[in-house]
Amino acid sequence: MPVSAASRKSLRWEKKTDDMKPLRIALTKGRLEKTTIELLETIGYNCDEVRNKGRRLILPVGDNDFEVVLAKAADVITYVEHGVCDLGVVGKDTILEHGSSFYELLDLGFGKCRFALATKSGSDFYSGYNTKTIATKYPNVTRAFFDDKNMDVRIIKIEGSVELAPLVGLADGIVDIVETGSTLKANGLEVIEWVTDISARLIANTASLKLRKREIEALQKKLEEVTR
Amino acid sequence: MKRYLKITPEGTKDFLFAECAAMDDVCGRIEKVFAGRGFKRVITPGIEFYDVFSLPCSGIAQEDMFKTTDNKGRLMVVRPDSTLPIARMVSTRLQNNLMPVRLYYKQAVYRNNPTLTGRRNELMQMGVELLGVKGLRADLEVITTAVEALTAVAGDFRIELGHAEVFDALSDGLDISENEKEKIRLTIEGKNYSALNNLLDKLEPCRAVSAIKSLPSLFGGEEVFERARAICAGTKASDALDYLHKIYTSLLALGLGDKLIIDLGLVQRNDYYTGMVFTGYIDGIGDAVLSGGRYDDLLSEFDMPMGAAGFAIDTDAVTLKTLSDAKVSYADNPAVLVYAEDGQELRAIELVAELNRAGRKAQFSVLPTWEETEAFARQRGIAQVITVGEED
Repeated sequence: MPVSAASRKSLRWEKKTDDMKPLRIALTKGRLEKTTIELLETIGYNCDEVRNKGRRLILPVGDNDFEVVLAKAADVITYVEHGVCDLGVVGKDTILEHGSSFYELLDLGFGKCRFALATKSGSDFYSGYNTKTIATKYPNVTRAFFDDKNMDVRIIKIEGSVELAPLVGLADGIVDIVETGSTLKANGLEVIEWVTDISARLIANTASLKLRKREIEALQKKLEEVTR
Repeated sequence: MKRYLKITPEGTKDFLFAECAAMDDVCGRIEKVFAGRGFKRVITPGIEFYDVFSLPCSGIAQEDMFKTTDNKGRLMVVRPDSTLPIARMVSTRLQNNLMPVRLYYKQAVYRNNPTLTGRRNELMQMGVELLGVKGLRADLEVITTAVEALTAVAGDFRIELGHAEVFDALSDGLDISENEKEKIRLTIEGKNYSALNNLLDKLEPCRAVSAIKSLPSLFGGEEVFERARAICAGTKASDALDYLHKIYTSLLALGLGDKLIIDLGLVQRNDYYTGMVFTGYIDGIGDAVLSGGRYDDLLSEFDMPMGAAGFAIDTDAVTLKTLSDAKVSYADNPAVLVYAEDGQELRAIELVAELNRAGRKAQFSVLPTWEETEAFARQRGIAQVITVGEED
């Protein structure tokens, strides 16, 4: 199929370098933010602006190499999914609970913990025919976990300390994030099953990865080297 | 009882003025490309039987469809996709038509997305379907139509190419359930390397397993083919790779090099794709604005086996981008306001028609006094007010 010279010219992709916006990275405020900033400094980016951020929420990094946006965990996913941020650093727990469509590029290896199913010590969770009640802050993770077992459960969403629910008799068990297990122990609960491992992940907007492949891959590679 | 009479449902919106003008402009340009290349417009019903979309290969989850019942209690859905209804239509209404047949559509699709995610539940789409033929020429025709359509409405864009058979051929060799296969597909689609490795590490290591492991990273320029060939050597995926390379080389010859990306991890949710698949991206829109591919097995579901390929463009997204770039002005004020003195209304209306025929934008003032007409013109920025008086 012949294409006219004029249209062939118009099809050429023109490289924009000067007026290109810097990559925008959404970071989960708090612990993940701190570790990510340390990581960025390790690979040679100046993060002074972020360290002295005051109340600002959008901050330049390095020689305007990219912009850092600080957000709550679930919002990191929202910003990346809608493409207003190109990349994001967020915990696997948030991805599992809120996840939708984006690329998960890298396991950054920090912020490690686990989702676990816990019950009152000594109780036999799987015994009997009654439908079990689970209290959790993560209803989607819980639903998926028991769906895989083909097990009907009643899920109750709790906002604060989930450990309380089985103690006061609201639930038979809880699904929650466990780091050291000391809170569970102090309240007479024990882990009966690990649901999944959690750590911080680098995520990317689908269109950004296609349109700004080189920049994103370069950063990904650098991060990969220091987190390995 | 709370009444919802002053808001639109979530995921829908009113389109006003410049938004409509921009949408008409975008759709008009695309239409010109489609019609110019011999595609004929069709419209399918807004409501169809659920069965049309519940095929296992449709890739549309039942919770994503708006449903209702007809008065016989049969389950109906508000059209969530245009390709399946067109397949239905071709297999019945056009079964004796001379093949191949080129069709295009411009119609909204409806998806029941989770609330508060900011996603649109009503999406205007334009697309083409080329049915009744298989092979390289048909694939090139469909892809180049997509390229011309994007060229007509967007300056910067990328087209990403993949092949459904690469993943299918590799995963067929594995001893896994459909469920596990779907999990693997999802991790590749999400370029979720760590989850993919976790899934595959549970399987017996073999050539196909290590090939699938590297699928999400197999994206980029022509160098991808070389890497992919080494990885997929000796598997059925090799043929698909050779074919995709042929398409890629042809598109290079058309000068599309910088706009093309190969992504062998492009494994789309619409399971009906059987051959080449492609998506289009434009700068400033965080999701694909175009997606399509070859679906040679879909028409067999309607008992009319034939080759087919097509794509759909998200024209709402393109319109949004056009408006935000504001390269085109969609301001649309009349140049002239025609005011009639009492008793001269019909003459004034005739004058407006005359001006319109001469190609000028004119408007009959429906305000009762000259003062109000003049004030309206000033506020609206209408340059000229003509007064039609008694026989002047």
